[in-house]
Amino acid sequence: MIKKKNSILSSISEYAVLIGIVVVFIIGMSIASPYFLTFTNITNIIQYVSTYGIVSIGMLLVILTGGINLSVGGTLAISAYIGCSLMLRGFPWYVSVLVCILTGMMVGLVNGLAVTKLNIPPLIATLAVEQITRGVHLGLAQGAPLTGFSQTYLNIGASKFLNLPMAVWWTLLLYVIFFIILYKTCFGRTVYAVGGNPMATRVSGINNHKIIIFVYILAGILCAIAGIIVTGRMNSVAVSIAKGLDTRCITCCVLGGASVTRGGKGTIIGCFLGVFIIGLLQNSLDLLAVSSYWQEFIQGIVLFLAVSADFFRTLIARRKKK
Amino acid sequence: MKPIIEMKNIVKTFSDNVVLDHVNFTLNQGETRALLGVNGAGKSTLIKILNGIYHADSGEIYFEGERVRINSPQDAEKLGIRFVHQELNVCPDLTVAENIFIGHLKKNRFGFYDEKGIYAASQDLLNQLEINIKATDRVGDLRAAEMQIIEILKAMILNSKVLVLDEPTSSLSEKEKVIFFNLLGTLKERGVSFIFISHFLEDVLQISDHATALKDSRNNGEFDTKKTTKEELIFAMMGKNAIQKERIEAEKGNDAPPILELRNLCSSGKFRNINLSVQPGMILGVCGLLGAGKSEIARAIYGLDKYDSGEIVYKGEVIKNPTPEKMMKNHVAIVTEDRKLEGFVPLMSISENITLSTLRRYAAKLGFVKEKLRCAKSLKIAQSVTVKMTSDKQKVESLSGGNQQKVIIGRCLESDPELFILDEPTRGVDVYAKTEIYNILIDMANRGVTVLIFSSELEELLAVCTEIIVLRSGEIKERVQAKETGKAELLSLIS
Repeated sequence: MIKKKNSILSSISEYAVLIGIVVVFIIGMSIASPYFLTFTNITNIIQYVSTYGIVSIGMLLVILTGGINLSVGGTLAISAYIGCSLMLRGFPWYVSVLVCILTGMMVGLVNGLAVTKLNIPPLIATLAVEQITRGVHLGLAQGAPLTGFSQTYLNIGASKFLNLPMAVWWTLLLYVIFFIILYKTCFGRTVYAVGGNPMATRVSGINNHKIIIFVYILAGILCAIAGIIVTGRMNSVAVSIAKGLDTRCITCCVLGGASVTRGGKGTIIGCFLGVFIIGLLQNSLDLLAVSSYWQEFIQGIVLFLAVSADFFRTLIARRKKK
Repeated sequence: MKPIIEMKNIVKTFSDNVVLDHVNFTLNQGETRALLGVNGAGKSTLIKILNGIYHADSGEIYFEGERVRINSPQDAEKLGIRFVHQELNVCPDLTVAENIFIGHLKKNRFGFYDEKGIYAASQDLLNQLEINIKATDRVGDLRAAEMQIIEILKAMILNSKVLVLDEPTSSLSEKEKVIFFNLLGTLKERGVSFIFISHFLEDVLQISDHATALKDSRNNGEFDTKKTTKEELIFAMMGKNAIQKERIEAEKGNDAPPILELRNLCSSGKFRNINLSVQPGMILGVCGLLGAGKSEIARAIYGLDKYDSGEIVYKGEVIKNPTPEKMMKNHVAIVTEDRKLEGFVPLMSISENITLSTLRRYAAKLGFVKEKLRCAKSLKIAQSVTVKMTSDKQKVESLSGGNQQKVIIGRCLESDPELFILDEPTRGVDVYAKTEIYNILIDMANRGVTVLIFSSELEELLAVCTEIIVLRSGEIKERVQAKETGKAELLSLIS
């Protein structure tokens, strides 16, 4: 019995700092603004968190294998664009959804092959793919947005179920699914192993390439899913869709404890908390009418403090000893 | 004899693990003192406190009679204490001279970098000591033993008063050890005091004057090494004697077809015309100097490195283009030379590292891991290889070298190998753990597993193997029966 208690306590203490930040936010904002603690506002937060929330799962998977994915924005853009333009040509909504996901998979496959077979560092490979996919989107769109999608399609992202928007349900469902995958399946455990020491897993007979390629494909699929949801909510594929998505997702993952320098470090729960905090931050800044120009600056400060947390922790510990 | 370093009543705890329990250590001026203890006894922690990397929770340090506080490695260096770590800290892209003078580059009278000065001083020193390296050589091209020598030379240039050597001979051959000890002798004549940490008790008995033994985080004896025996030291370190099992004898009339055959295996620059065959159930050793090609052959068999020509025949079938995945499926397992690099996933637990190769076996539908089953099997294996741990959920990076090696062996055991290849299996492993590992291998051989050990430690091969193959400069020279050969004979064959 004692062993179990210890592990629940220690998992909570792992996230103590993040949970603490959430609590501080909630208390602070409830005092600062009367609109904060309303049902509409809270569901709003989870709604606009849904896009980068879902993509962050994919980003976490890539970061766990020791890589990074700068092409998430472009992947989302091109998948959504190709899917939706088919719909506008008269194809049924399910064809759009299928093609969108397939496009996401293909981009993921390209990333995966570039990183494994061509041995290009993930930073460079995904940077190139981002530019290629964005370029294709802009080239095909010729600078014009798409709009006017079928109602069923819009319902995927925008309808409500039990009074909560579908975007919320999809996000929660995906987090639960990937939590189970990462902790309870062979594939998930192997992802952690490959990220932790790819040379050791190679000697152990694991096929690193297979795992890494699959991870990038999953990331691509998640981008596509996020694309379906956001275009459903907005009823459009904007020209600047998903701009800045990569930096935001990396911020969320790192805030949640993932390490970009050391593969195999990071958790889904941490990622969820990171996403939530960034969402709270954005919401608070909006409610407090902070200019949107300054929002990026504040997010940067938050990220900086989050990654320096380790340094501050050891500094405080040392001061206590003396 | 005046003491130059005194460490009194040192206590150090990590979380609730007491690593040093009121430990005392005294080094006298001009003395060479060995610090002995099994992995986990506290030796490295004591040394790291002296080096300023850790801070003692309580206790005092005195240098030349005065109380000092060592808060960082720079403090230790200012006092004149120099550390030569087990892992070599050289800059491979710089030259020998630049490495020797690193951090202390000479300036000429204008304040600019005096390049000529450092090369002259370095070459001078190398010539004085009759070391066959040029000051202009690129360090990355040197062998491990030569890099070790550079670390010592750094100390000489800085006129250090105390030199702390952590496992300095683990990557040296017998010949290189002689050069190394001569170097230490020269320094000793200049009045340098040494703290010497080593698992090679023969070396300890040879070059040190006194030894301090640590056991279970406490002092357990001071010895005059000219008057003590290896057995006495082992007893002080572990409280019992290491008992090794009988090496298995070659079965007479063993006509079974060989489990592994290498035919004319060649890799340019590394090894040539390697022809050998291994009977099932035997322990075959491959010995040779560092650089003779041992690791290269081991890695080629397992598909970790490519080779140019020749055939690898496993159980009668030619294996074209071996890969680790293929070999693992064929029930071949390998423990590679560099455990930190390729042995385990550091952030994962002992339990997960053991089932790293075989996770599929515990998969239920949809890939879910049968965690209870996996945990139970993994724990059984960890216990059978006698890993010293607080729990098998401990991260492997927190274990000592010997225990890490046992976890890796555990992982290989878990995959039910029929052929088990090991490359330098007990490097950096303490005396007791070494014997435990040998016993594990002998048990496996008795159960029918074929063991292939590549090692530069001759005593190891003579103690464990049935037959030994001698490798020299990439070619096989001889194949001898272990029980009919002595160390001296082997030594002359490999050089």
